[in-house]
Amino acid sequence: MSEAEPLPLAGLVVLDISSFIAGPAAAVALADFGADVIKIEPPGEGDPHRQNYKSPNYPRRDNQVNFPWQLDGRLKRSLALDLKNDSARTILERLLKRADVMIVNFPPPARERLRLRWEDIEPLNPRLVYCSLTGYGETGPDRDRPGFDITAYFGRSGILDAARYEGGPPGISLPAQGDRATAMTLVAAILLGLRRRDLTGKGGWVGTSLYANGVWANGTSAAGALIGAKLPPRQAPDKPRNALTNLYRTKDDRWLQLLVVRDDRMWGTLCEAIGRPDLATDPRFTDREERKSRSLELVQELMPVFASKTYADWEAILSRTGIPFGVIGRVADVVTDAQAEHAGLFADTTNPEVPRTVNNPIRLGFARPRTSGPPPAVGQHNDEVLREAGFSDSEIAALKKAGALG
Amino acid sequence: MTETALPLAGLRVLDISSFIAAPAAATVLGDWGADVIKIEGPDGDPNRTIMQSSANYPKGEVNYPWHMDSRNKRSLVLDLKNPAARPALDRLIAVSDILICNFPPPVREKLRLAYDDVKPVNPRLIYASLTGYGETGPDRDRPGFDATAYFARSGLLDAQRYEGGPPGVPGPAQGDRATAMGLVSAILMALIHRMKTGEGSWVGTSLLGNGLWSCGVIAQAALVGAYLPHRPPPERPRSALGNIYRTADDRWLQITIVREDKLWAPLCTAVGRPDLIADPRFAETEVRRRHSADLAAILSDEFARRDYEHWRHALASHDVTFGVISRPQDVPDDPQAVACGAVVETAIPEMPRTLSNPIRLGFAEQRIAHAAPALGQHSDEILHEAGLGAAEIAALRASGAVR
Repeated sequence: MSEAEPLPLAGLVVLDISSFIAGPAAAVALADFGADVIKIEPPGEGDPHRQNYKSPNYPRRDNQVNFPWQLDGRLKRSLALDLKNDSARTILERLLKRADVMIVNFPPPARERLRLRWEDIEPLNPRLVYCSLTGYGETGPDRDRPGFDITAYFGRSGILDAARYEGGPPGISLPAQGDRATAMTLVAAILLGLRRRDLTGKGGWVGTSLYANGVWANGTSAAGALIGAKLPPRQAPDKPRNALTNLYRTKDDRWLQLLVVRDDRMWGTLCEAIGRPDLATDPRFTDREERKSRSLELVQELMPVFASKTYADWEAILSRTGIPFGVIGRVADVVTDAQAEHAGLFADTTNPEVPRTVNNPIRLGFARPRTSGPPPAVGQHNDEVLREAGFSDSEIAALKKAGALG
Repeated sequence: MTETALPLAGLRVLDISSFIAAPAAATVLGDWGADVIKIEGPDGDPNRTIMQSSANYPKGEVNYPWHMDSRNKRSLVLDLKNPAARPALDRLIAVSDILICNFPPPVREKLRLAYDDVKPVNPRLIYASLTGYGETGPDRDRPGFDATAYFARSGLLDAQRYEGGPPGVPGPAQGDRATAMGLVSAILMALIHRMKTGEGSWVGTSLLGNGLWSCGVIAQAALVGAYLPHRPPPERPRSALGNIYRTADDRWLQITIVREDKLWAPLCTAVGRPDLIADPRFAETEVRRRHSADLAAILSDEFARRDYEHWRHALASHDVTFGVISRPQDVPDDPQAVACGAVVETAIPEMPRTLSNPIRLGFAEQRIAHAAPALGQHSDEILHEAGLGAAEIAALRASGAVR
């Protein structure tokens, strides 16, 4: 397909009435592939995600720039609309009538109050694909709880508990890690809705929850739990079951995953490579059985050895000798990784403040994701969007006066 | 499509993939009505035996991972290395809509299974490719696994560690299952494209790409030179009131008190230490932060005295909110897991419940899970449907191409 051919979602209008990350990130992926995404946000501050770059839990640098907003606001137009204002309803309804997809993540009680449930919207536009994101699902004791990825996707699903070393604290989730994984499910749900519309002419309700996505990601452990099987505890690196397939800290506080599975063949080579030929003849470690049963003794020998050189040193030494090891990458290295370029992980933007961004993971042979410019300011496209929806200049002025646009 | 028809009914999917991410994507398509044919070599997908062979899998009497990843599929054993298998494969490709493949690129070339090889057989085919590290570049030929490609290479595991501690621990197939949703989305994009243009296409995704997308915030930050410091361990928190504490029964409570002015006193009362309220070291937020290690030590001693259940009630009765860190074994009996549709019933007697895929549609229900197929269980039936006669099938069996 040539560059000039339309993107697969070109011509679709998406109303992104969602906040924070999972819902908006799904809207970004739709925009990447051609959809016209209109972000409807409260006048003034807008989506609270616009402020997340100031959060102490977010990565920092001097002269902090609003990098998360580039990621989750790209290729959208912003309409600042006060949904609590009665005049805003006129605008919203006119937009809904010509929209193809609507994404909403208000907790159910807020949807009811704002008349934004599917049953409120369906009569206005039965061809609409209504996409709902909740923390914990649409029914049940916790349906009204606001869900965040750390609580609903990671905590409640069992992922954090499973992600710990024996006796250690729970695992750590990164900012929005579960939100972004969930966004791919929302995209799939929306595309299923669009396919159904193509087949039947009817829109419909589609959705997912952070909790269901966490359980899905943790599916192997959860499916095991359904039949009473328990996850074996993960041994801490200083107490491994096998010291030769274990993690070792290097001098520069990085970690190396040693993967000597065939130690029947590689034991001598390993001892030589790490500068401990004496271990090869150490009677404690002569065969595989002994090396395994004495893994606690062996790890005490190996830890100081690996801690004596940097990660780069070990990479060079081990590569040379063919000893298998796994890389624990740092995100700082990924951004300069040649393979990342080949895999299409990053893309240039036309925003000088954030010149590169992270692509969504979907690759299409017939289309490339759009290049993004700067994300919109709150309400930047108010007049433009309202004019497209058929409002005259005097109507727009009246709506502004009524406070619908803040 | 009738009101009750599933949105992918009538589509035929060839699942020529192994292990988890790509087969799980095929499972999701099957959940929504597609006819999924799993094509396996004579030894079968190694995912059939992963529960026993992987040290990191929960062990059970029932082969639950295989049931989960192969529900509602039919199995055809076709030895793709045997030249006699090719005409049969081409017949299948000719009558299929989607082909999912996760062989590393050199194997695809050897087996003539690259997109360019199969496109002439069926130009309407959607070819869905999963790789570890992408389709080109220095690492394109490396087999990728979710621990190595999604988690380790993306920087996730390094970022998921406590200051001074070892890397994070990925759950079995955790990144694979998240990646499956990326692959499903890619396939659905291609279906929309085909509906508009009549043309098939290549689509795909990589484990590395999905890992990086999920940690997009720190990746986007790294692109502008912003970094996340490693989290201090629970005994040296930045704030003792935003920290995790271990209970007597080795569970963890996530305390996140934002309104310290309102909740400091109730917390002290709830943990049975009203004396702390007047302790000058902890009089207000500023000094409390300065003495966070002291306060964390006191609180961790207190929380370690009683079980999780005690704390759940004690904290709730003082309106102190906390994050639940469930264990995997808590999920099956969580009513909310059923309410949100994550835990569903099956038609498999030995495994009466399973996990649905996370997509919900108001107009259709996911198919109920039937038992995963035995190796080659549907070989004859599938070949027959593709138009092969009994004599042809017998010849294929005699050649060893089909089992």
